[in-house]
Amino acid sequence: QATSFDNLPHITIDRDIKGKVTDDGGQPLPGVSVVVKGSSTGTVSNSDGAFSLSVPEGGNPVLVFSFVGYISKEVAVGNQTSYDVQLIVDSKALEEVVVVGYGTQRKRDITSAVSVISMEDIGEVPKSNVTKMLQGQAPGVIIKQKSGTPGQQFEVKVRGISSLGAGSDPLYVIDGFPVGISVGQNLNPNDIETITILKDAASTAIYGARGSNGVVLITTKSAKEGKTNLNVSIDYGIQNIPNSRKTHVLNGQDFAQFKKEVFIGRYVLANGRQPGTEDIPIDFRNPENTKYSTNWFDLILNNNAPYKDINVTLSSGKGAIKSVVSAGYYKEDGSLQYTGYDRASVRTNLSGDVNKFISMGVNLAGSYSKSSLANTDGRSNLVGLTLISDPRYPAYDEKGELIPYYNGVGDIFGFPNPLYMLKNIKRNRNIADVLANGHVELNIAKGLKFRSSVNAKINYNTYKEFVPSTIGLAIATGSAGAPPRLATERDDSEELRNYAADQLLSYVTNFGENHHLDAMLGYSAQQETTKGLYGSGNTFPDDLSPFLGNATIRSSNSIERKWRMIAYFARLNYAFKDKYLLSATMRREGSSRFSEGHKYGTFPAASVGWRISEEAFIPKAAWLTDLKLRASWGKTGNNSYNVSALNNFGVGQNVGDDGNYASLAFLGLNNYVFNNTLASGKTVTRFANSELTWEKSDQLDIGFDLATFNNKLVFTVEYYKKITDDMLLGYNIPAVSGFTSTLKNLGKVQNKGIEIAVNYRLKVGQVNLRTNGNITFNRNKVLAIRGQNDFILQGSQYGGYNIQQVGRPIGMIFGYRKLGIFNTKEEIAAAPQQEGAVPGAMKFADLHGAPDGGPDGIVSYDTKDMTEIGNPNPKFNWAWNVGADYKRFDVSVLLMGAYKFDVYRNIEASTMNMDGVFNVLEKAKDRWRSPENPGPDPNNKNSQGGTDYFKWSRESSERYVYDGTHMWIKNVTIGYTLPKVKGILSDARIFVNAANLRLVTKYPGNNPDAGVRGGTELNNDDESYPVPRTFSAGLKVNF
Amino acid sequence: SEDFLDQTDPTKVGVDVFYKNEAQVKQALNGVYSQVQALNNTAYLFGEFQTDNTTVDLNPSDRGGAGGWEAFEFSTVNSGNGEIANLWNGYYAALYNNNLTLEKMVTAELPDASRKEIEGQLKFLRAYMYFNLVQYFGDVVIVTSTLATPDPAFDLVRSPQAEVWTQIEKDLNEAILLLPATYAAAADKGRATKGAALSLLGKSQLINKKYAETITTLKQVTSLGYALTANYADNFDPSPAKKNGAESIFEIQYQGDNDLGEWSNFQYVFAPRVSKGAVTGYANGSNGGRNVPTNDIMASYETGDLRKDLSLKPNFTLEGKVYSVPFVSKYNYPHTIVNRTNTNWPIIRYADVLLMLAEAINEQSGPTAEALGYLNQIRKRAGLAELSGLDKTSFQTAVLKERRLELAFENQRWIDLKRTKTAAEWATFMNAHGAAERAKPTVDRGNVPFNSTDYVFTANEYVLPIPAPQILINPKLTQNPGY
Repeated sequence: QATSFDNLPHITIDRDIKGKVTDDGGQPLPGVSVVVKGSSTGTVSNSDGAFSLSVPEGGNPVLVFSFVGYISKEVAVGNQTSYDVQLIVDSKALEEVVVVGYGTQRKRDITSAVSVISMEDIGEVPKSNVTKMLQGQAPGVIIKQKSGTPGQQFEVKVRGISSLGAGSDPLYVIDGFPVGISVGQNLNPNDIETITILKDAASTAIYGARGSNGVVLITTKSAKEGKTNLNVSIDYGIQNIPNSRKTHVLNGQDFAQFKKEVFIGRYVLANGRQPGTEDIPIDFRNPENTKYSTNWFDLILNNNAPYKDINVTLSSGKGAIKSVVSAGYYKEDGSLQYTGYDRASVRTNLSGDVNKFISMGVNLAGSYSKSSLANTDGRSNLVGLTLISDPRYPAYDEKGELIPYYNGVGDIFGFPNPLYMLKNIKRNRNIADVLANGHVELNIAKGLKFRSSVNAKINYNTYKEFVPSTIGLAIATGSAGAPPRLATERDDSEELRNYAADQLLSYVTNFGENHHLDAMLGYSAQQETTKGLYGSGNTFPDDLSPFLGNATIRSSNSIERKWRMIAYFARLNYAFKDKYLLSATMRREGSSRFSEGHKYGTFPAASVGWRISEEAFIPKAAWLTDLKLRASWGKTGNNSYNVSALNNFGVGQNVGDDGNYASLAFLGLNNYVFNNTLASGKTVTRFANSELTWEKSDQLDIGFDLATFNNKLVFTVEYYKKITDDMLLGYNIPAVSGFTSTLKNLGKVQNKGIEIAVNYRLKVGQVNLRTNGNITFNRNKVLAIRGQNDFILQGSQYGGYNIQQVGRPIGMIFGYRKLGIFNTKEEIAAAPQQEGAVPGAMKFADLHGAPDGGPDGIVSYDTKDMTEIGNPNPKFNWAWNVGADYKRFDVSVLLMGAYKFDVYRNIEASTMNMDGVFNVLEKAKDRWRSPENPGPDPNNKNSQGGTDYFKWSRESSERYVYDGTHMWIKNVTIGYTLPKVKGILSDARIFVNAANLRLVTKYPGNNPDAGVRGGTELNNDDESYPVPRTFSAGLKVNF
Repeated sequence: SEDFLDQTDPTKVGVDVFYKNEAQVKQALNGVYSQVQALNNTAYLFGEFQTDNTTVDLNPSDRGGAGGWEAFEFSTVNSGNGEIANLWNGYYAALYNNNLTLEKMVTAELPDASRKEIEGQLKFLRAYMYFNLVQYFGDVVIVTSTLATPDPAFDLVRSPQAEVWTQIEKDLNEAILLLPATYAAAADKGRATKGAALSLLGKSQLINKKYAETITTLKQVTSLGYALTANYADNFDPSPAKKNGAESIFEIQYQGDNDLGEWSNFQYVFAPRVSKGAVTGYANGSNGGRNVPTNDIMASYETGDLRKDLSLKPNFTLEGKVYSVPFVSKYNYPHTIVNRTNTNWPIIRYADVLLMLAEAINEQSGPTAEALGYLNQIRKRAGLAELSGLDKTSFQTAVLKERRLELAFENQRWIDLKRTKTAAEWATFMNAHGAAERAKPTVDRGNVPFNSTDYVFTANEYVLPIPAPQILINPKLTQNPGY
C-alpha cells in the first residue's frame, strides 16, 4: 500500500490538473495556496480563483488548499482533471484579537461598543499627531481640527459632551499606561500598530473615574514572529491656504472709498444734506489716489510651506528576544510665516521569553519636539489683525525693511505690522518626553498568568516668549500704541512625572466543550506630579539679549501639584457555545482629589451578547456569516474637573490650582502695609466643599453586528444613552457666605445617539473595491443644573454667548434675534424702543422684560432680550472612506462632514465693524446704504447694516450665526506598489496624497470646525490659525 | 493605604493648620486690612462720584465701552451694575475672613495683650464694614460667624437697619475697651486704635441722632492727643515724616515706589483722561478721568480758602495748551514708578471729629461757643475768617458746607448728605445738581448728548440696589424699593 515515490524517482508521470477556488458565496478566491501534500509542488490561484498544476500520477496525491482566514481543505486527486473547490471561512478568523482595557479579547466575544481603527484604512495622511489620524475612522468619535497650528492635537470627543463642568476629553492609554486626557504632541504616529476606542461603559468602566468620556487605547508596534524587516518611509509635502478658504477684505482703494462713504453717511445723518467737496476732510476726499494696497493676510502666509516625515523601523521577530527599533523625524513649517513644529523620536520595544514560565518586555520611547508659535486667536492677534489692519499702507519701506508699526491716522486704530510681529516675537515651546513601560509575565499554570508592569512618563515642557520693544500695541488710538514699548520675556518650565504600576492575574480556561471562561483580577496605583517654574521680566536695556537676567523688573513663581489613585478591579468573560456571551467588570477606585469619606467610588459594568447566527433555528444561509446582538450597561466616573469652571460664572474667586485639591480650603497671600513696611497677610481663597466627590455617568448601549457574504458586507448599529449625574460644577452661593461660588456635585446631562458603520468589499474585474462609511447621530440635553429654571451663561456681550439651559442641548448660542435692518426713523419709532438706534441699524427682537416674562417694549441693552439663536451640535456627522486597488495601483479617498449646526463667527463683529476704524470684509460692499439701497438681501439674518452707528452692531446677535454644514474631501491617496526585488526589496510603495483637499460649505470662514474657547463654550470662531491644504509624496520600502 | 491618597497643595497653607499662633493670627488680621484696602480703591464711586462734589471727564469716542462706573454719576445705577456686585461681594468676603479669624483665634496661643489688640482691631474693622454696608444698602445681612457648608447661606436674610446699628455699636464698644490709644511699636502705626473706634462710634451715634452720646463719645477722642496739623496738605503728604500724622485717626495705608503691590493710584484715576503726564508726571500712566470736581464745588470755596488749591485744580496745561478739565489734586505727590503712588486715604481725621462735635452740640444745645469754637478751628487753619452770630439752622448749613470743603474728596459727602437730608430732600438736592450739570457740564462732553435717564434722582435711590445676581441666587434676599 505504502508506495514510496522515493523508490521510483524516474518513472514518475506527471499529469496536469486545473480548477477554481471559490468562497462559500461562490466568489472566486485569488491567492489561495494549492500544494501537493508532502511535496514542494504547488501554485497560487489567480485573480479568477483559477489554478493549474502538475501532479504526479499515482500514489493518491492530495491537494491542500489554504488561505488566510479560511479553513484549509484537502482534496484527493482522482481521475478528473478539473477540481472546483470551495473554501469555508474559518470562524476562528474572527479570533482576531482586540486590545481592551487591561488585556485583549477575541473580537467575536466582544459585547461592548469598541471601535478598532485600522491603520491601513487611514491612508497616507501627514502624521503630525495621533489625533489627526482618527478623523472619520469610527462612528461616535468626532475629531475636530480647530486650527492649523503645526503639530497641534485635535479635539477628540467620544459620544458627545458629557459634562458641563469637568472635561469631555477621552482618556489615552499607551501600551496599557493611562497617560491622561491628552495624548501629547510627542508620540510618533508611525510607531503605532493599532488604536482601539472604547465607547460604552461596559468597555470603559474598568478605567473607573477616567472612563466617562471614552478611552483611546494605543498599542505600539511589536515584532511579528519569525519575521525580520527594515522599513524606511519618507514623506515630503507642502502646505498652502487655498484661495477658496481665505477671508477676503477690502483692498487699499476700496477701503479708502469705504472711509469716504462712512464720513459722508455720518455727515448726512448729522446735517441732513450731502457734504460739499470741501466738507470732506482731505484724507478721505480722493480714494482713487490711494497709493498702496497691502493684503496683510497674504503677507503673513508661508506659501508652499514644506513638511517632511522620515521614519526607519527595524523589526526583528527571530530568536528569544523580539525587538522593534525605530527612529523618526518630522518637520513641518507652518502655513503662517515663522511658525513650525518638529519632532525627533526614537523607540525600542523589546520582549522575550526567559523560559517557559517567565517572559519580559520593555518599551522605551524618547522624543523631543519644538514648536515655533504665534498668538493667533482673536482680532488683536495674528490672522484677525491682518483682516482689520488698514490696507493703505505698505508693509516694507524703500530699503525693503519691514515697517514695524502704523500709528492710527484719523479715527483708524494703530496696528503693528503682522509680519513684523511674526518675525520678531519669539514664542517657543519645547517638549522632551520619555515614555517607558516594562513588564514581567509569569505563566503559573495552564491558563493562569500573572503580569506585573510599571509605567513611567517623564515630560519636560518649556516655553519661552520674548516680545521686543519694537512691537507696538494692536488696536491703539493715535500714537498711543506706537513702539518702543516695554520688552517682555516669559520663561516657563514644567516637569511632569507620571508613574503607574499594575498587577494583573488572569485565567483562561475552557471547561466542558461549550464553556469558555476568562477572568482577571487587578490592582493599579498611579501618581502624577507636576512641578512648574515660571519667570517673567520686562524693561530690558535693548532687544539684543532676550534673557531674564537682562530684565530690570523680574518676577517668578513656582507650583507643585500631585494626584494619586489606587484601584482594584476584576473582569469576568464567559461564553457558552460561542453563542451566549457575558462580560462583567468592577472597579473600586480611590482618588486623592476628594476629601476624607469621599475618596472612593465603585464602577460596575456588565454586558451580554447573543450570536444569533449560531442558533440552530437560524437557517445556515450562505450569505449570513455572523449576527450578534449585544447590550451593555455600566457606571463610569469623571474626576478631571477643572476649577476654571468656576470662572465661567464670572464671579468665581481665583482658586489657583487645577482641581487637584478642590475639596480643601487654603490661605492666599493678601498683604498690607503698616508704617511703610510690608505686613504679610493671608486670607482664605475659596469656599471649599468638603463633600465633593466623583462625577458619575450611567450608560446603556445596545448594538447589533451583522456580517454577510464572508465579511464582504459588515454592518454595525449601535444605540446608546448616557446620563451624567452629580456633575462637578461651579455653583453660585450667596455672597454673604464670604464667597460667590464653590464647586459642587450637581446637575445632569444626557447624551443619546445612534451610530452606524458599514464596511463593504467588492471585486469588479481586476479592481478590488473597499468602502466603509459611518454616521453618528448624537443628541445631548441638559437635564438639570441647580433648580428648575437654572442656567449657565458663558461669554460676553461683545464676544458671543453660549448658554446651558435645562431641557435644551448643550452650548446653545445665545444673543439677540435679528428681525432685519431699520430703514427709517419712522420704523425705529414704531418698533420696540432700541435706545440709540439709527437707520441702518439692525432691528432686534423684544422678547422679555415684562413682569409676565413677555416683551416689555424695550430691547434691553443686556442679556434680558437675548435668546437661543443657534445650535452648535450637528444633526449628524458622517465619514466615508473609499479604497480601490487595480494591479499595482491603489487609491483611497476620505470624505467627511457634519450636517446642520451653527457657528458664531465672532471675528465678524470686528471685521464687519462699520465704524471705519478697521478694514472690513468685501461683504461690506453689500451693506445697507439707504432705504432705497438696502443691499442685495436685507432680510437675510447675516446681512450687514449701515455705517452710521456703533450701538446694536457688535453685540451678540443672529447677525454672526452661520450654518456650519460642510463636507471635507479630507484625504486622497494614490499609491503604486513596486515590483519585488528578490533578496533585497520585499515590499516598496510610492504614493501621493492630498489632505484637506477641498471644503464644500457655505460657511464664510476658513474652517467650520473653528472654535477658540474650550469646554462647553462651543463654536466661537474668532479667526484662528488657518487650516492648510497639504500635498505630499512619499516612499515606503521594506527590506 | 489611606495615607497614599492624602494629598494637599504643598504650595499653600491649609486653613486647618493655620491660626495657631500670634504670627499666624496677625497675618489673618492683616489679610482683613488688605481686603478693606481693596474695597477702598473704588469707594470714591459711592462716597463722592455719585454726589454733587464730582463728575466725569467722559470719553466721547468710546461710548460703546462706557463702564458701569459712569452710572454713579448719572444716577442710572441698576441692580445689574457690576460695581454694586463688587461692593456687596467684597464686603462679605472681608467679613468672612474677619469672622473666621475671630473664631479661630479663640484656640490660638496668644499673649493676652496681643489677643486684646487683635480682637479689638477685628471688631473695629467689622464695625467699619457694616457702617459702610448700612449706609450703602440700608438693611443688610448680618453675618458674625462663618458657615461650614454653603447651604445655610441661603437662609440668611436682611436685618433692619436698627439691628445693624446695634451690631456696629456693640463691636465698637468692645473695640474701645480692647484697643490701645497708641501702639507701642512703630511698626504697628496704621492699625486701628481706641481713637478710631471712638470716632467711628461717634459718627454712628451722630447718624442715629443720638447727640448727647455723640458728644460724650467724641469728647473722649479730644483727650487722646490728636491735633490739627498746621498745614492742611500735611494730611495727605505721603512722606514718611507726615504720613499717619497728628491729625490722622484712621487711614487706609498704601505704599508705592516698589513691587510690593501695596500702592495707591488715585492721582491717576482722578487725572483728566487726555492729560498724559501733565498731572501725574508719567505720560504712560492710565488716566481715568473720574471724580472730576464740579463747577459747583469749585464755586463753593470762599475767597482765600487755602484748601481749594490744595484739593483741586481747575485745569491743566499740556504741551503749552490749557485744558479746562478740573481734577482732584489732593492726593498728587511725586512718586518714582508710574501708577504706583504712596498716598494713604484718610478715613477719619481729627478735623472730622471736631466738625462732628460742632454738629452734635448744635443739634443738642444750639450754636454754643464750644460748637462755634470747633468749627472755627477748622476755618482758621483754612485761612478763613471765624464765624459768629449763627443761629441753629445757619450753623447746620455752615457745618455741612465746612465738612464738604474740609473733607472734600475723602468719601464723606454721600454720608453727610444722607445724614442731613431726608430721602425726598436728598432727591431734590441731587436733581438740582443734575440740572446744573445738564445745563453746563463741568467738562465738555464732545457732543455726546445726555440720555433722557441721566441725572434723574428719585427718593428710593437714597440707598443702592442689592445686586441682582445675589437675589437670583437667593430669592429670599429682598430688593430695595424702586430697583
